[in-house]
Amino acid sequence: MVTREERDTRERFRNRYGEDRTEVVLQIERAVIGGDWGANGYTTMAQADLLGTALGLERGVRMLDLGAGRGWPGLYLAVRTGCDVVLSDVPFEGLRLALARAADERADGRVAAVASSARALPFRAGTFDAVVHTDVLC
Amino acid sequence: MLRASRRLLRPGGRTAFFTIHPTAGLSPRLRRRAHRDGPVAVASHLSSRELLERAGFVDVEETDCTSEFVTVAQAWVDQCEDQRDALAEVLGADEFDERQTERRIQLQAVRDGLLRRSLLVATRGDDR
Repeated sequence: MVTREERDTRERFRNRYGEDRTEVVLQIERAVIGGDWGANGYTTMAQADLLGTALGLERGVRMLDLGAGRGWPGLYLAVRTGCDVVLSDVPFEGLRLALARAADERADGRVAAVASSARALPFRAGTFDAVVHTDVLC
Repeated sequence: MLRASRRLLRPGGRTAFFTIHPTAGLSPRLRRRAHRDGPVAVASHLSSRELLERAGFVDVEETDCTSEFVTVAQAWVDQCEDQRDALAEVLGADEFDERQTERRIQLQAVRDGLLRRSLLVATRGDDR
């Protein structure tokens, strides 16, 4: 059951992910988060690295990022550690940006994206070695 | 979310996530304010640790990250304020002001001790 509040939140993020990533926006993100991977929350680069260590990410590990937005931190972690990642979120707009960035980083062979809520993800049980998310609606 | 994580993880697989939550032990009035002012991910009265254990995770480790949360939240406010004109041009002045107000209200709730942010790491238990 999707509540009105959840619908409003999704609509807000859909609109935000569709906004232009202008140089000033990237500059602010670099100053606050330490990188320009599309973060709009509170997870810094150092904290993303903590997630990678906690999950033992390396080449061959299959990770799922729930509520991935524009790919932060799942895409960054895949590029940094060599793991495979499925980025999932309801808004399509952010995932499209993430896939473009994956291609720029020459990581597109290890990165996939699925526009879906966590509850409806089309994967068999036990598909992933690791699941990550940051400040998403539970 | 956690039940979906458990289903999709192999036995022994791990989850790691950050979550913003109301401080434990708040009065009902302050708890309502915490929910109103923050992007509180978990509406349940149970802690993240309890939710993880109920969802079938074991070896749950929690690390408080609230001080970094304050630093980053303040940095968003300050950096955006420094770029007010450029951002207002991109977003529109009303939207810029609305986002800054939202950030400031949330930051104040953290400073007032209503909200905390934690890193949770846990392992998917064997099938029961």
